[in-house]
Amino acid sequence: MPRRAIHAAWFLLHFSLIVTICVREALWSIGRGFTFLPAGARAIAERLEPIVETLLGRRAAPSNPIRRGLSTYWHLGGIEGGYGYFAPNVPDSSKLVFELHYRDGRVDYELPRASSAAAGLRVAGLVEEIGRTQYEPLRQSIVRMMVDSCWREHPDASMIRAVVGIVVLPTPAEFEQGKRESYEFRYAYDFTRAENPPTPER
Amino acid sequence: MKTLRQRVSDWLFPAEPDTWLAVLRLGLGLQALLYAASLRSDWEYLLGGAGSAIVNRDLSEGILSLESPFVPRIGWLTSLGGRLGVSEGAVLSFVWAGLLCASIMLVAGLFCRATAILTWLFHLCATKSGGFVVYGVDRFMTIGLAYLMFAPLPDRYSLDRIWRRISPTRGDLIGFFRRVLQTHLSIIYFFGGLAKCLGSGWWNGSNLWRALIRPPFNVVSPDVLVKYKAILPPLGISILVIETAYPFFIWPKRTRNVWLTCVVSMHLAIGLLMGMYLFGLVMMILNLAAFGPNTRGADQDSKAAAPVS
Repeated sequence: MPRRAIHAAWFLLHFSLIVTICVREALWSIGRGFTFLPAGARAIAERLEPIVETLLGRRAAPSNPIRRGLSTYWHLGGIEGGYGYFAPNVPDSSKLVFELHYRDGRVDYELPRASSAAAGLRVAGLVEEIGRTQYEPLRQSIVRMMVDSCWREHPDASMIRAVVGIVVLPTPAEFEQGKRESYEFRYAYDFTRAENPPTPER
Repeated sequence: MKTLRQRVSDWLFPAEPDTWLAVLRLGLGLQALLYAASLRSDWEYLLGGAGSAIVNRDLSEGILSLESPFVPRIGWLTSLGGRLGVSEGAVLSFVWAGLLCASIMLVAGLFCRATAILTWLFHLCATKSGGFVVYGVDRFMTIGLAYLMFAPLPDRYSLDRIWRRISPTRGDLIGFFRRVLQTHLSIIYFFGGLAKCLGSGWWNGSNLWRALIRPPFNVVSPDVLVKYKAILPPLGISILVIETAYPFFIWPKRTRNVWLTCVVSMHLAIGLLMGMYLFGLVMMILNLAAFGPNTRGADQDSKAAAPVS
């Protein structure tokens, strides 16, 4: 097979895959009602999404060689997801606050830290991930690890409460009327030195 | 009259100078250098294991393994280091130093192919192992570096060409890989713009306002922003137009420069107004390489465009 034909075939396959991944993301957003499209569009998206997922091998067993091969390919090429950043709408941001309790009754507050602005963006993304994660055991594991990291810096704390909330942003009109960003409690996890499992509060 | 096959071939494999490749190599080398430098003090904090990191790397690597066990990651290197008696901290420092050295050599254009592969590999390991602490910039770096390592390096501004007198082995593919990058960017902006079009907040400016006052992107004070609230709706709509119409206006030569200026300005604004400097930079680099001026230099040889057997 001539080399140009091989390159042309790869081009076709590569971009078919990228377009399919983008379509899947768009259907996902529409199907979950995140867009202003009517309910009819939502129903269509819900019907089409499984078909697109099948094309991408996402419905096959995790050990399926085609699924694994495709996953490996798109991770190596950075094409594992769509490009809908800040779309269709900009969500409220999540916030995580550590409440440090000491044996003498003192209480301090800490935010997840980073020593540079570049790393700060990444830590903020991690906090967003906690807010987005629907799978409770995963969310709990991430929070627990972040609490451990806080504990390394505050070894005297006897209990740390990790409070997860949402930063509710004002509209321009509300801002002009004096309203500022507010904090809405979502859930909290308590961790003690005894390494007891955390107790979520809602 | 040309056949369809010939037309497709002419479009996919145009005779192009390699200036765009030099822009991509220099730009991504600089990008990787800044990426490594900006994360030096937090490298272990972001990518370490239990007892040193904000989130144990094993968690993101475990999730990655569910998708594919064949994607490179730092855990492979720490396991190897462990067998050789090298500590995890030393391995992490090695990855950071490796990325830094590879990116410097990529900027210089020395051993271009090897350094492009190493830069991609070290960056990919960091990105995949730090699955919870990555964002858009990492994906765009992976995309750019993946194309760079397959492109016909070295370009004519590299030390490999000037000093080591090495010519590209696949010079006829210079135009092809530019087409790949151009097509990918067109898809990125079209779908990114389309997704935004489906959110009501981009039409009335509220999403732009929210994006700019949302922590940690709130570089500009809301007190300043609110004074300009009237321009937020047209600015929001212009972002939709720039992104969604990108594939339609970036290809024709008559509108290319205008659209390129618009999209580069947009990324410059994102970088400066939202503190996403690395994200803004990588997008500008990819756009300038894909659609920026691609001048034919004095030494541009015909063999760059001619098929090489």
